Amino acid sequence: MGKRFITSVAVVFALLLCGQPVVAADTVRVGLMAPLTGAWASEGQDMKQIVELLAEELNNQGGLLGKQIEIIAEDDGGDPKTASLAAQRLANSDVVAVIGTYGSSITEASQAIYDEAKILQVANGSTAIRLSEKGLKYFLRTCPRDDEQGKVAAKTLMDMGFKKIAILHDNTSYAKGLADEAKGLLEKEPVEIVFYDALTPGERDYNTILTKIKAAGPDVVLFTGYYPEAGLLMRQKMEMGWNVPFLGGDATNNPDLVKIAGKQAAEGYYFLSPPVPQDLDSKAAKDFMSAFKQKYNAEPGSVWAVLAGDGFNVLAAAIKGSGSTDTEKMVAYLKTQLKDMPGLTGNISFDEKGDRVGDLYRVYRVDADGKFVLQP
Amino acid sequence: MEFFFQQLTNGLAVGGIYALIALGYTMVYGVLKLINFAHGDLFMIGAYLGLTLLTALGLADHLSPFGVIALLAVMVLALVAILGVVLERVAYRPLRQAHRLSAVVSALGASIFFQNIVMLIYGAKFHVYPHDLMPRTVVHIFGMPVPLIRILILLASVVMMVGLYTFIQRTKVGTAIRAAAIDQGAARLMGINVDRVIALVFVIGPALGGVAGLMVGIYYGQINFTMGWIYGLKAFTAAILGGIGNIPGAMVGGLLLGLIEAFAAAYLSIAWKDAFAFCVLILILIVRPTGLLGERVAEKV
Repeated sequence: MGKRFITSVAVVFALLLCGQPVVAADTVRVGLMAPLTGAWASEGQDMKQIVELLAEELNNQGGLLGKQIEIIAEDDGGDPKTASLAAQRLANSDVVAVIGTYGSSITEASQAIYDEAKILQVANGSTAIRLSEKGLKYFLRTCPRDDEQGKVAAKTLMDMGFKKIAILHDNTSYAKGLADEAKGLLEKEPVEIVFYDALTPGERDYNTILTKIKAAGPDVVLFTGYYPEAGLLMRQKMEMGWNVPFLGGDATNNPDLVKIAGKQAAEGYYFLSPPVPQDLDSKAAKDFMSAFKQKYNAEPGSVWAVLAGDGFNVLAAAIKGSGSTDTEKMVAYLKTQLKDMPGLTGNISFDEKGDRVGDLYRVYRVDADGKFVLQP
Repeated sequence: MEFFFQQLTNGLAVGGIYALIALGYTMVYGVLKLINFAHGDLFMIGAYLGLTLLTALGLADHLSPFGVIALLAVMVLALVAILGVVLERVAYRPLRQAHRLSAVVSALGASIFFQNIVMLIYGAKFHVYPHDLMPRTVVHIFGMPVPLIRILILLASVVMMVGLYTFIQRTKVGTAIRAAAIDQGAARLMGINVDRVIALVFVIGPALGGVAGLMVGIYYGQINFTMGWIYGLKAFTAAILGGIGNIPGAMVGGLLLGLIEAFAAAYLSIAWKDAFAFCVLILILIVRPTGLLGERVAEKV
């Protein structure tokens, strides 16, 4: 009995091993590099869910070039070292293109590896400016760049009529880049920057920092970091009994912000973000929302994971439009021929550098029910 | 002056939690000379267990806020203590005779295991304690407003530290723990069951860490599976600052670290507060290599 069992297990494994290459030849393999573990794991898992849902839908309609699509997901751990290993594994697993990833410094660690392997990379949440300034031919992104957001942040603060501005970032390359961009633009305006410093992400107690900002007496605080810290800042600000408005960057666009801060503390929080699919009334966005709800019985978390879905959509369009999975042809198609493709986050086109074209940012405000309301 | 006082209370609130976690590091190190790197994760598990019990049992509907917290604290204490004993039995006891590095590697492994198991069970999203659990009472001390819960956290840390110190110094079991800390072989010859003493140390240390996790959950609200790392690191630093292995040292080190951080952030730069805190640590270790209170090696526990 025992022996027969072992033999049959061995046979099954042998069959599986033989089966692998045959299956691989018949599919279009698309890589997904996402933070499936680590501090950004919730973003990464949303990315995976969304990309897998879209691939499944496309497969049900017959796939691409007559083949089924296979998603190969690798974990970058939200960490540059893990990411370079993940990128090497993906580069060696015969993928036609890679979607991802979320953090700018993580994408940066993987860019050279994909470029060398001539693999098309479509990043979804990496907004640091320099990523597309290196002249890497096969790099594109569905998210806007920080300089775009910095301009919108400065303009929004000016439009709201604030005179004394505090800027707080968290020393990640994304948050610092955005803070520097906004600071540079605001210094040319008739306003005063009364505070500029960074907090340490991952801590729980920001009372020290809030006490210090309060002493500087700003009319408004621009926080360019991520939602876990933004939530705690809002909550502790309320406990201090301090009523200053906060404007956040797009990394605070996550429903967990309200959960962490509590509805009462989060009310009145402003942030900038590309529009979430809930707020778009295009057909693509609506179909996606209902399909996602049906499959996972939840709403997609943040816009960044949805942008990974758009990454998948443009790849599918590139393969369909160029009729091949050749990297050069796909890149040429995306940069020159793809114009205003209706995506999950609005119309998509790319410029020569691989950046998404068009103004995308909107101002949102958290209302008393904790809902994110698009501001006119 | 108000700014100074505000930052003083900020620093004490953070430091009280560091101190409570540092007590657990110090207990284990004192007896086993082992840095229990999984301690920060036991702290994190305490925070998760507290939230699960709170929501699953619906306690907040039946009891007053302080009753809820007291009951939760007892349950978390017990559960994390059980986990601590299991951890010792599975990850450390088989390596008791091995090189000390093996046990440290095993501790790191346990830490990674705990983090990932919590992520698999609860998911990677942030979890949040109910916002209305604690009444937001504010007490005025010399005319300065201080949230009541901060005073309670500090008080709880002091009470646990004093209780632990008395237990170690005044009871028979405490004497056995001290004896095992000095020389396990000799303690065994005197008829002390060293395995049981070590198991007891792994009841007390993790239990304190678990309660600290519960407090962080209640006070700050937001918990996630990676929170043990940063608190563990800071508490470990606090334990070294005060003299690792020394119970009042953990308390002094924790509060001092909290205050250094708060004042470095207030009067120097926020981004540099950790660098400054570690500079102070290095300076103190240069002058006193055993930490602030770590001189009496013979009474180390």
